[in-house]
Amino acid sequence: MKVDVQLTINGQPAQFRVEPTERLVDTLRERAGLTGTKEGCGVGECGACSVLLDGKLVSSCLVLTVAAHGCRVDTVEGLARDGRLNDLQRAFIEEGAVQCGYCTPGMLMAAEYLLGRYARPTTEQIRQAISGNLCRCTGYRKIVSAIRKTARQRAARRTGR
Amino acid sequence: MSWLDSRRPRYDAADKVTGKLLYPSDRTMDGALWVEVVRAAHPHALIRNIDTSRAEAAAGVVRVLTAKDVPGLNAFGIQVQDQPVLCHDRVRYQGDAVALVGAESRRAAREAARLVEIDYQVLEPLTDPERAMAADAPALHPGGNILHQGHFSKGDIEEGFGKSAVIVEDVYQVPMIDHAFLETEAGLSYYDGEVLVVESCGQYVFRDQTQIARSLGLPLDKVRVTAPFVGGAFGGKDEITVQIHLALMTYHTKRPARMVATRAESIVSHTKRHAARMYYKTGASRSGKLLAVQARFVSDTGAYASLGGPVLNLMMEHAAGPYLVPHFQVDAYAVYTNNGFAGAFRGFGCTQACLAMESQMERLARALRIDPLRFRQMNVLHQGDLAALGYPMKLEVGAEATIRSARRSKLWRNRRALRQPPASYGPSRRRYIRRGVGAASQMQGLGLGIGIPDYAEVEIELAPGPRATIKAGTTEIGQGAYHAYILEAAERLGLEPGQIRVVGADTGRTPDSGTTTASRTTYAVGNAILLAAGRLEQELGRRAARRLGWPAGAGKLRDGGFTGSGGWVALDELLAGQRVSARATFHVPVQDVEMGDGLPHLLYSYGTHVALVEVNTLTGEIRVVRLEAHLDGGQVISRTGFEGQSEGGIAQGIGYALFEEVRLDRGRFVDTNFDKYVLPTSLDVPVDMRTVPVMVRDSTGPFGAKGISETCMVGPTPAILNAIEDAIGVRFTRLPVRAEDVLQALREKEKKDEG
Ligand code: FES
Ligand code: FES
Repeated sequence: MKVDVQLTINGQPAQFRVEPTERLVDTLRERAGLTGTKEGCGVGECGACSVLLDGKLVSSCLVLTVAAHGCRVDTVEGLARDGRLNDLQRAFIEEGAVQCGYCTPGMLMAAEYLLGRYARPTTEQIRQAISGNLCRCTGYRKIVSAIRKTARQRAARRTGR
Repeated sequence: MSWLDSRRPRYDAADKVTGKLLYPSDRTMDGALWVEVVRAAHPHALIRNIDTSRAEAAAGVVRVLTAKDVPGLNAFGIQVQDQPVLCHDRVRYQGDAVALVGAESRRAAREAARLVEIDYQVLEPLTDPERAMAADAPALHPGGNILHQGHFSKGDIEEGFGKSAVIVEDVYQVPMIDHAFLETEAGLSYYDGEVLVVESCGQYVFRDQTQIARSLGLPLDKVRVTAPFVGGAFGGKDEITVQIHLALMTYHTKRPARMVATRAESIVSHTKRHAARMYYKTGASRSGKLLAVQARFVSDTGAYASLGGPVLNLMMEHAAGPYLVPHFQVDAYAVYTNNGFAGAFRGFGCTQACLAMESQMERLARALRIDPLRFRQMNVLHQGDLAALGYPMKLEVGAEATIRSARRSKLWRNRRALRQPPASYGPSRRRYIRRGVGAASQMQGLGLGIGIPDYAEVEIELAPGPRATIKAGTTEIGQGAYHAYILEAAERLGLEPGQIRVVGADTGRTPDSGTTTASRTTYAVGNAILLAAGRLEQELGRRAARRLGWPAGAGKLRDGGFTGSGGWVALDELLAGQRVSARATFHVPVQDVEMGDGLPHLLYSYGTHVALVEVNTLTGEIRVVRLEAHLDGGQVISRTGFEGQSEGGIAQGIGYALFEEVRLDRGRFVDTNFDKYVLPTSLDVPVDMRTVPVMVRDSTGPFGAKGISETCMVGPTPAILNAIEDAIGVRFTRLPVRAEDVLQALREKEKKDEG
């Protein structure tokens, strides 16, 4: 028995016929071809599969696609606009926050979620915000710096400086 | 301008932050089958019968393969081929593969895998290496259970202890741990005409090609393996993982095939860091001279050889750390058991030995009441000295420079004041918080060591633009090697990094640059790049003579052009629309004494780490507050990459010290995902990390560069243990040190202090 599901992925409407047990991570990777979203554990522990579901940060390995029916899904592929990287992506590159890069898409989504809620997060808030995202390569420091840098830049833009 | 030691961002990051880069797990093809592995149901058993009929009849199943379907050698292994591709008569660990199911969907493959019926005669698993060594233990392999042993002595160990004013003796135990690369083992295979292509995740595509061809009974040129970009490896993808299984399915079905391991499958099936028991006895004179080191290692190599032998050799080589020791004895054993299987892991045996030796050094220094770093400096090796195993340290030795750098740091100089909890904690909290500072020094052999072929061939092509392409056979596993190659080439070719690209790890398109292991790529491939650049210059000199009438002779690539006997000419003008390419091979230099496979090394990197930790004596919780790395990797090529390696190494060192352990119960894996196998998170690794490059330039390195990708991970763990002792006066000899261990140790200490 398959079910029709409608999603809005990175602003584009999309339709899929899926098994009721299909996970959102598989729909994104295997059906929508959006392989930027990664799977590292499949049990909600590593954050590699993080996406925004109606603006909320979720592990897409724990979400059934049918449960996301009618929702907005934002993935790493939606961060750049018209081929231009956004400020957070640029900061990740400049600060050396990317090594193997397998954790990076999930980290970016977790960071976007944080930056959407706090204009000026403290270092502690940043560390908290990405504590559900494992990175085996970087030791996190450069990731924290990249997020801090982006927060500062965005705050400066808002205040018009 | 110079590109050395630059903070230029790495070029591959852009495709990683957009999600564009295709990793092995992302690769697919129309009509690709999913391959599922049926693994052993028991860590040790005989196979009486395998019945695949129900699985074959299941919906969506295209093919089920067992041992009889392996056309060539049904065995693999980097050194000794003792591991079956598919087991037919016996399984030796829980990850052993018995059958493969190829089906139209992943789900169909998984469901059918459960229908493969294997009749086992269960055997008692061997789980204690010291028991497995006994003469009467049942043999897991025809040659018995000791995979490898080594014995060495220098001087007279008893005399050394006789002369010692202080002697420290203890047993250190380190657990098996997992690499936990974030991308599990994955790949895609297909036929391209007659050639079987495997796009996979290994750390050495040329060796994988050999291993695949050998098991499939195919000539080498009928197998092509690629693995340019991989989501982390750390040694855990050095041995074969999915490659032969994928190739086998495509070989039999002629269809593309895919595999992506689940995390549980990954943890159960791939190599691990060796668990080890290390018996140490160390003595020093009253004045602080290290006199004797005696070590005995028993390392649990699990079910198959992989690199268990060389790992043990490196444990022996690094048993006495970077120190001068007149009386030395080491006896070491790597023993087969049914506990998973162990192999390469960042640090490669040094990690284990250094933990023990640096704990011993700290305890000797304390007993002698000498500043622990001064004590290390008093005994450190210099160029020309004899290493513990008796061979001379021929090249530049940066050990002392790293110790000096650490001693100069604020963290070390202010360590007494830093032991006080910060005033912001308030009086009640200050009562149960203890802080301490500890250090550790180490050296790490670079390259594969003597006796193992260790070379890198690269090709550089210059094209109009001007542009350059470096073709190198190593894998970008996250470490940033391709970026380093570009900086090295830019420096040497006089081009901008943006004009240079890398084509990597493809047996069909790139030369064999050797393994992506052993801290070797920046050094070995970098040297090959320099050699190839020299050849390009000769060729360009000939062109300049032909085309421009310059007097014959070589020149230099510089500023986007070529400088020679006739002055400077832009490359584009000299190339005149054509391409020029050159290949060169660099052979990693070795010692002239050979003491065993990969033993010893000629080249080493060095490091000294300092840790500030905080122990909560109410909860037992340990927090690493600050960690500093003083690393000698020679000339730094990419500062960002250097720091990135170091910081990642610190995080892994924290994991080894405080969290990680793959627990086994009678040979069965207990922790098979990140819910129970705890990795350090952003809250466990301090933001307060500092990496200080101590650049003792190596006379054989490209621009004086070496590699630090392992050294950076080895030192943090003993530095943390030494800091814990400084904080609460308790010496831990067993990893990991968890909160409950701290509480128990504090209770015991209290009892002892009262009694
Ligand atoms: S894959 Fe979803 S949290 Fe790890
Ligand atoms: S960069 Fe490799 S896991 Fe984060």
